[in-house]
Amino acid sequence: MNPDSEQLTDFERNARRVLEESVLRVDGRVRSRLNQARQAAVEAASTRPHPIFWRVFTLVPTAGAAAAAILVALVMWHGQPQAELPFAENARPTAEDLDLLADGDGLDLVQDGDGSGSFYEWAADQSEAGSGTETDT
Amino acid sequence: MPVSSHGDVELSDSSINARSRTLNQFLAGVELKAFKIAQAALRHEDDALDAVQDAMLQLARAYADKPAEEWKPLFYRILENRIRDMQRRRTVRGRVIAWMPFRGDEDDDEPDPIAQAPSNDPSPVKKLELAEAMGALEKALAELPRRQQQVFLLRTLEGLDVAETAVAMGCSEGSVKTHYFRALQALREQLGDLV
Repeated sequence: MNPDSEQLTDFERNARRVLEESVLRVDGRVRSRLNQARQAAVEAASTRPHPIFWRVFTLVPTAGAAAAAILVALVMWHGQPQAELPFAENARPTAEDLDLLADGDGLDLVQDGDGSGSFYEWAADQSEAGSGTETDT
Repeated sequence: MPVSSHGDVELSDSSINARSRTLNQFLAGVELKAFKIAQAALRHEDDALDAVQDAMLQLARAYADKPAEEWKPLFYRILENRIRDMQRRRTVRGRVIAWMPFRGDEDDDEPDPIAQAPSNDPSPVKKLELAEAMGALEKALAELPRRQQQVFLLRTLEGLDVAETAVAMGCSEGSVKTHYFRALQALREQLGDLV
């Protein structure tokens, strides 16, 4: 139902003629600005962002690099020397520590009960001296 | 320039160029009528230019990939939204300015003598008749309710059919017919034989 194909009344035909004439009389300043706006729009259309699938495709290397970095970080985290762990465990009192503290004999061994040096120094001396020392204790 | 080994890139570039040409052609075909429609609604030349410019940019950015046959109703839909936004903003600004104690004269735009030159020059008598008819029609159009004004201009000046007008106005085809009928009635009553 385009007005072109419709049966237009005289009034509609005349109104269209007058309106089209007014369009033709649009001044140069307006024409110039419209022309500039059109050029800007055409430029914007030719430089507009790529479609979504293309943007996703170009993100693949970045995403891969990020995933690799996360993987390396995880591996390094879990691959740290286990020697660190006892320290962390010692930070909290365990049942074994409590037994040791409660056991007075055990503490004596550690605390050098007779004033002649620590138990550990004595044990080290004994192991250096050989197996015969066992009978001396 | 694209390399021959990248056949798909070459196709893509040429299709982009073709689309740019088609878009340029389309916009060149509608810009003056769109300006007149915006001017009738906004009654301000620069505002009308801004509205058309925004509509062009938005069409280019968001809908350039759509089939070219769909551009016209889409373009006028965008333009209509832009006009409505500007009218709302103007209403708010008017309310704010009305409360301000001092306000400057906003009509400081000086007319450009070169810009004022008409592009066509019919005979003086005909020119006078046309000018009179134009003035009367524009005045009568300005007094129409917005929807009637819009439907009349889209149908009569731009030549959109009922379905395209409905898309451009964001309403049903029945509504388009009703608004158009009422617009014609009102204009006939006001203008009589003048147009």
